[in-house]
Amino acid sequence: MAELYVKPGNKERGWNDPPQFSYGLQTQAVGSKRTPLTKRVAAAQDGSPRAPASETTPGPPPKGPPPPSDKAPRPSPVGSCPASSVKPPSFPVIKSETLLEDVLRPLEQALEDCRGHMRKQVCDDISRRLALLQEQWAGGKLSMPVKKRMALLVQELSSQRWDTADDIHRSLMVDHVTEVSQWMVGIKRLIAEKKSLSSEEEAAEKSAATTEENQTVPGFFGAP
Amino acid sequence: MATYLEFIQKNEEQDGVRFSWNVWPSSRLEATRMVVPLACLFTPLKERPDLPPVQYEPVLCSRPTCKAILNPLCQVDYRAKLWACNFCFQRNQFPPAYTGITEVNQPAELMPHFSTIEYVIQRGAQSPLIFLYVVDTCLEEDDLQALKESLQMSLSLLPPDALVGLITFGRMVQVHELSYEGISKSYVFRGTKDLTAKQIQDMLGLTKPAMPTQQARPAQPQEHPFVSSRFLQPVHKIDMNLTDLLGELQRDPWPVTQGKRPLRSTGVALSIAVGLLEGTFPNTGARIMLFTGGPPTQGPGMVVGDELKTPIRSWHDIEKDNARFMKKATKHYEMLANRAAANGHCVDIYACALDQTGLLEMKCCTNLTGGHMVMGDSFNTSLFKQTFQRIFSKDFNGNFRMAFGATLEVKTSRELKIAGAIGPCVSLNVKGPCVSENELGVGGTSQWKVCGLDPTSTLGVYFEVVNQHNAPIPQGGRGAIQFVTQYQHSSTQRRIRVTTIARNWADAQSQLRHIEAAFDQEAAAVLMARLGVFRAESEEGPDVLRWLDRQLIRLCQKFGQYNKEDPTSFRLSDSFSLYPQFMFHLRRSPFLQVFNNSPDESSYYRHHFARQDLTQSLIMIQPILYSYSFHGPPEPVLLDSSSILADRILLMDTFFQIVIYLGETIAQWRKAGYQDMPEYENFKHLLQAPLDDAQEILQARFPMPRYINTEHGGSQARFLLSKVNPSQTHNNLYAWGQETGAPILTDDVSLQVFMDHLKKLAVSSAC
Repeated sequence: MAELYVKPGNKERGWNDPPQFSYGLQTQAVGSKRTPLTKRVAAAQDGSPRAPASETTPGPPPKGPPPPSDKAPRPSPVGSCPASSVKPPSFPVIKSETLLEDVLRPLEQALEDCRGHMRKQVCDDISRRLALLQEQWAGGKLSMPVKKRMALLVQELSSQRWDTADDIHRSLMVDHVTEVSQWMVGIKRLIAEKKSLSSEEEAAEKSAATTEENQTVPGFFGAP
Repeated sequence: MATYLEFIQKNEEQDGVRFSWNVWPSSRLEATRMVVPLACLFTPLKERPDLPPVQYEPVLCSRPTCKAILNPLCQVDYRAKLWACNFCFQRNQFPPAYTGITEVNQPAELMPHFSTIEYVIQRGAQSPLIFLYVVDTCLEEDDLQALKESLQMSLSLLPPDALVGLITFGRMVQVHELSYEGISKSYVFRGTKDLTAKQIQDMLGLTKPAMPTQQARPAQPQEHPFVSSRFLQPVHKIDMNLTDLLGELQRDPWPVTQGKRPLRSTGVALSIAVGLLEGTFPNTGARIMLFTGGPPTQGPGMVVGDELKTPIRSWHDIEKDNARFMKKATKHYEMLANRAAANGHCVDIYACALDQTGLLEMKCCTNLTGGHMVMGDSFNTSLFKQTFQRIFSKDFNGNFRMAFGATLEVKTSRELKIAGAIGPCVSLNVKGPCVSENELGVGGTSQWKVCGLDPTSTLGVYFEVVNQHNAPIPQGGRGAIQFVTQYQHSSTQRRIRVTTIARNWADAQSQLRHIEAAFDQEAAAVLMARLGVFRAESEEGPDVLRWLDRQLIRLCQKFGQYNKEDPTSFRLSDSFSLYPQFMFHLRRSPFLQVFNNSPDESSYYRHHFARQDLTQSLIMIQPILYSYSFHGPPEPVLLDSSSILADRILLMDTFFQIVIYLGETIAQWRKAGYQDMPEYENFKHLLQAPLDDAQEILQARFPMPRYINTEHGGSQARFLLSKVNPSQTHNNLYAWGQETGAPILTDDVSLQVFMDHLKKLAVSSAC
């Protein structure tokens, strides 16, 4: 769902600053493990530099151009699936122009829905942040990726997929904190409030309280 | 048939342990002759996706001095419903819940593949995770802005019910009261005066009973009585106000005149943070996160004066006993670290500045409490930002990869005693029959406290064989060790992880071959290195090197095959063959050499070395080098100057740095732009391959390493040149004739010379 990109580090402020990975890439890294680069070659027992198995290129280093593509095998990274082949998972294509109205109206609606359930001060606070979002958007201060992902967030919120919406909020905070930090926290709260509101409603509907069963006796397994 | 390598790997995956010896010498005398002590690297919370925790409590041995936990090594009498403790041989009745137990109906903890098992404890109040930010405001505008944004961002990464607090400091220290009423209040402290815990708590009004406002609400069973502390509030309640509060933070308003350092009250700020948590959440998992952009310059814990013309202490000053503030400052931070550790709180230090920030003096705060130490140039770098984000990374279950307030207890069978541990821990001073009088690392105890840990945190645990020479081990007998780790899981549950392992005893005189074959040279190298680094913290560098050398020579004398006085006849078996080169690279490493490093850098490197798992530790000792060329797929190559060839690209991983180095020809080709020509697409791929591999490492490493992209003749090529074995130098270049490779301008000895000397000494009858 999230953006997948790597951008260079801040070389001006940090000496040999590493590249920066987007939130999507960072969270994706969990689980997908390539062959780790941890092999080492043992030196011969006399410490001489010739490794037992490695071949050394005879003669002087090659002059002239590199071997053309049809002559040399295509080199690949050590790992089995190169990072460059990671395709962004397909998600609905958003119309090229995201309209402020389409984003703001559902958010305002969500705020209205929650109004009775929050202290007035919290409502005002969220409302103030929505105004800030509106102001920055209208003032052309928000970048295209932020606008697109906000549209996506609102979609998820309207479809009551709270956790996905929350995850998009998190990816925006990580990847675009400078742009969104001031008002995003309002959206975050709104997602949380909507979520608790809907679970309260659900609970009221069901009314029958489900007692969680906790296994308090040892679990027995049949021996093989 | 399984080889020892497979056995070792399986044990590491399943139990998170790597032993130096996997067959144990059966007497004290023989064990001391093995040179490398019986020890293990233990990763208490090793990630086990295939191990769901069980929802009941462990069964303990009823002998009060033992209390070992029921495990697969125990003998069970299914008919009488009895089990015999494998540590003290006490016979125990099973608890009533186990009445259904039979040979074919066993509880998990008795099954052999549950040698590691995790229990969830249902009792007791659960307490929320606590994060207390301690923020330096004596920063440049750009840095402060970046830090503020990172902190705001972190509020989105924290669990919603975590408690969070904020202390800011410059010349003064401000403790911010967090309220969701929209009015922010703060308590201001002078940064020059140290306060006792009691004074701090009095001044902050923490000594009064819990706030009455909370008591008015209906009692909630899970609610912690102290949740009402005004300084620590749940993230989901104060995130909006805290975002604004952070957004409004200004640089320290006190003017800094030319030629002066800003006055920075780090010592008092940390003292207040420790005191605040001590008073509100004793014995609860909590994390103090100190963000600082320079050295403490006033009050207790000051490391340097505010005059810029006096530079901060160097190794040279320390050797000359010319570091004025060092001892006093170190004492201050040690006192704080011990108090935090006693309460189960961990302290992180994020130090971002171009000059030193006093990590040398403050290191005990992180090292004794299991906190993180991060060193960067600026808060506005990807190195800091991503390292900080990764603190909040989650595992495959969506749980934070952090745990708190752990106690590690070690139990041994009676032929063994515990000599000590080296890692991010403090002693709990629990004496007992299985504690040795001979200390290795932090000893004199069978229990340690690890206030903050993650799935990779690894301790070195050292043992002593105490069986007497004339008292044989029973035939087929095995020695056993049990590790019991009680901790607060990030889901706030209390959990107990139990790992029980056993190894065969062997008579070192008749069965030396067995013992030799079961030597784990990688684990041994890291365990010896930890001992060396531990010594280096208190002894002079050359003494430590001499000690390591002596151990290496003795090991070669014991296990090498040679004719006396004939160095050319010297051979080591496969299970020992790599050990000397690990020691060679260790001697050159920044963990033992302080040359070219500041005291802060040394502290930083050693901090990470003392807590990483075996794989990462070994990378630190002997960096990994891969070579990319048209001659075949990428391959690991010798960490040697002969591997630096014109038509190769090298990728080196030193843990702290990832270096990509283009050989001379490759660099020329790139300069000529071949990678952009369609008929040389292959070359483009060759250039890309190491970049992709480097990215893979960068994506997983904590902390974020520096990333160096260089080529033949580039100034940054020095990172590669200083790490490879200098087999070709300006001194012996011609001796090598036609040999390719890159000569290194150094007078350091090469591995060949080192090995020659080692062999000579090993076969000599003089020593």
